[in-house]
Amino acid sequence: MAEVTEGAETVEALERRIGQLRVAVREAVLAGDKARAKTLRAELKRAEQAWEDVLAEAEDAGITQSAQSPHSRQSAGNAGRTATPEQTGPLLPLREQVHEALSLLQVPAAPKLIATVHEAFFATTFPTTRVTSLRRDEERSFRAAPFARPYYICAALAADFLSPSRGLLAVSTWPMERRVIGSLSPRVDFLQAAIRIAEAIERIPAPVPAARRLLWRFAASIPGAAADASHIQPEAVRQAAEAELSVHKDADTRTRREAAARARHQLADTEQLFGTRSFRPAADQEA
Amino acid sequence: MDPTEARLQKLRGRAMPRNHNARTISALATNPGCGRRALMDAAGADKQKLAAYTGYPAPFGQSQFAIVRGNAFEAQVKENGAAQLLSLLREQLRLDITEAHYSDLGDVGGNETSEVRHARTKRLLTTVDEKQGTMFDHPLLRLRVGGRHAYLEPDLIAFQLHGKCHVVEIKSFAVIDGQADPAKVAAAAIQSAVYVLALRDLLGEHKVHDETILVCPENFSSKPVATPVDVRRQLTVVKRQLSRIARIEDLLGCCPDDLTFDLEADENGIPRRPAREVEAAIRQVPANYAPECLSTCELCYLCRDEAHGTTAALGKPVREELGGIEYVRTVLDLARGAAPPPETEEVAAQLIRAAGIRAALL
Repeated sequence: MAEVTEGAETVEALERRIGQLRVAVREAVLAGDKARAKTLRAELKRAEQAWEDVLAEAEDAGITQSAQSPHSRQSAGNAGRTATPEQTGPLLPLREQVHEALSLLQVPAAPKLIATVHEAFFATTFPTTRVTSLRRDEERSFRAAPFARPYYICAALAADFLSPSRGLLAVSTWPMERRVIGSLSPRVDFLQAAIRIAEAIERIPAPVPAARRLLWRFAASIPGAAADASHIQPEAVRQAAEAELSVHKDADTRTRREAAARARHQLADTEQLFGTRSFRPAADQEA
Repeated sequence: MDPTEARLQKLRGRAMPRNHNARTISALATNPGCGRRALMDAAGADKQKLAAYTGYPAPFGQSQFAIVRGNAFEAQVKENGAAQLLSLLREQLRLDITEAHYSDLGDVGGNETSEVRHARTKRLLTTVDEKQGTMFDHPLLRLRVGGRHAYLEPDLIAFQLHGKCHVVEIKSFAVIDGQADPAKVAAAAIQSAVYVLALRDLLGEHKVHDETILVCPENFSSKPVATPVDVRRQLTVVKRQLSRIARIEDLLGCCPDDLTFDLEADENGIPRRPAREVEAAIRQVPANYAPECLSTCELCYLCRDEAHGTTAALGKPVREELGGIEYVRTVLDLARGAAPPPETEEVAAQLIRAAGIRAALL
C-alpha cells in the first residue's frame, strides 16, 4: 500500500515529492496524456495524504510525550482506562500501542494477540491488518536511518533460516535470544505470555472482564491451570505455566542461544531486525 | 519440459494453472473413469470458468462464507503455537508434556515455492524424531495422480510417541451432541485418507497411523473438539480409484493435437474465443457422467446435458441393470418388442416382461 509505505518518509522528502508530482501532472495534462495524468494525480493524492499522516503522527507523539513519560505508560497500571476507541480514538500512534502490548508480554506475538492484549490492559484496540503493514514501515524507516528511533517493531526470526517468522512481531531492543523462534519457542513463549498476563492482572486492583477473558484463553490450554472460566486464579495460572515451562525451558534456551549466535555472526543490522531471505539453514552448515 | 507437460500446458492455454488438492483428488476418486475431469484437472484448467463460459454454470464450489469461517476456525485453533490444538492432542493422543514442538513449514526462509516446501517437509519428517518435532503446520506432501505429481497441503501433521504420524484435519462444521453431518464427515475422511496416502508415500507404510484426527467446533460454540476417524476403508477406496485413473499420456493420445481449452482472454481477462468453439473442444474429451458428479464436479451440467438420453444419466445401478444398453430410446424400443441384437436378448426378454407387468397394473 503506497500510502503506508510513504508514511515512513520524512516530511521534507514528501514535500519535495509532492512538488515533483505537481510538475509531472501539469506536464501530463498539457501533453494530453490522460491515462498518465490520472495515475500521477492518484500518486499525488497519496503523497499528500501521507504528508498529513506524518504530521498527525508527529502531533500525537508531541502530546503523549508531554502528558506522561513512556515508562509509566508501559506498566499495566493504567489498565483501568475505560475510554474506548469509538469514544476518543486512540491516543497513541499504532507503533506505540503495539510496543505497549509487546512490552507487557515480553515475548514475540502475533498481531491478533497484540491487539487483544492491548484491548484488555490498555482499553484500546486496532485492526490487525494495520499491524501487518506496520512492520514494513518500520523496516523502511530503519533502512532509511538506522537506529534513529529508540526502538523498532521488528520481526521474530525463524531459528533455522533466520528468516522473518510468519506473523510474529517483536521489539528491536530485546536480546536476540528472545527474538529467534525454535520449534519449542511457540510453546515457551505462550507460557511466558500467560505468566506475564497473570502477573499483570494481579497488579491491577479491579481487572476488567476483557483481561480475565484473555487469561482464561491462556489457562484453558495449560494443564492444571484452571478448571473453568468462573474459577480462575491468576496465581494458579502462573504456577501451572511455570511448571510446564520448566520442562521445555532448557531445550528451548539451547536452540535459541545457538540461533542467536549465528544471527549475530552472519547477519547485517537490518537483517538482524527484519530477517534474511537468503538461504542459510543451520543444518546445511553443520553438514 | 517433457512433451506431456507441454501438451498439458497447451490444453490449459494462457490461464493460470489450478492445482490438484485433496478435494479434487477425492472428487476424481469418486469417478475414476472420467477422462474429461482427469485431463482437465491434470492440465490445471479452470473448470468453473469454462463451465460458466460455455453456458453451463454450476452452482458449485465452496461458499465464500464457508471459506472465511473455515479459515477463521483454523487460525483460532492454531494461534499461539497451536495452543488449543496441543491441549486436544494431549487428550486424544496422550502426548507427553515434553512434546510441544511446533514447526511452521509454510515457507522456507521466505521461499514459498512448492518444490522447496516439499523438500523441507520431507527432510524434517524423515529426520526428526518425536523429541524434536511434534506438530508440523502447513506441510506440503506429494502424490502421484494419473502419472503426475500433485502437491497436497494437510492442515497439520502430528507426531505421537513412538514415531507414528497422525494427520490432523481441521473442519469448521459443528459436532453437535457428538453428532456431525455424515456427508461432511465422509468428505473429510476421504480427504484425510488422501493425505495419509501421500504421507505414507513419503515415510513408509508403518510410520503413519490410519487413524486421523478431525478437529471441529463443538456444539454451537467455537470451542474445538477432536474426534479420531479411522480411515482404513477410505484408504482402500482412494488407492483403488487412483490406480484406475487413466494415465494422462494415454488420454492425451486419444485427443487431437490442436485441442486446447484456452479462452483466448484479452489483457482485461475477457474471453474472446467463441463459446461454441470452447464447448466443442471440451466435448472432444470423453466424459463419464454419473448423477454423483452433480455434487463434485464443476462441469456437471455440461456433461449431464451431453449424457441426456443415455442410461448412464440415470445412475450406475440403472445402467448395470440394463446390461450395457447405452440409450434410453433403445431400452424403450426393446420393451415395445423391437427385434433385439443377439447380445441383448436376455435383457430384451426381461424388458418385455416388465412392460407387460406395467401395462397390466396401469
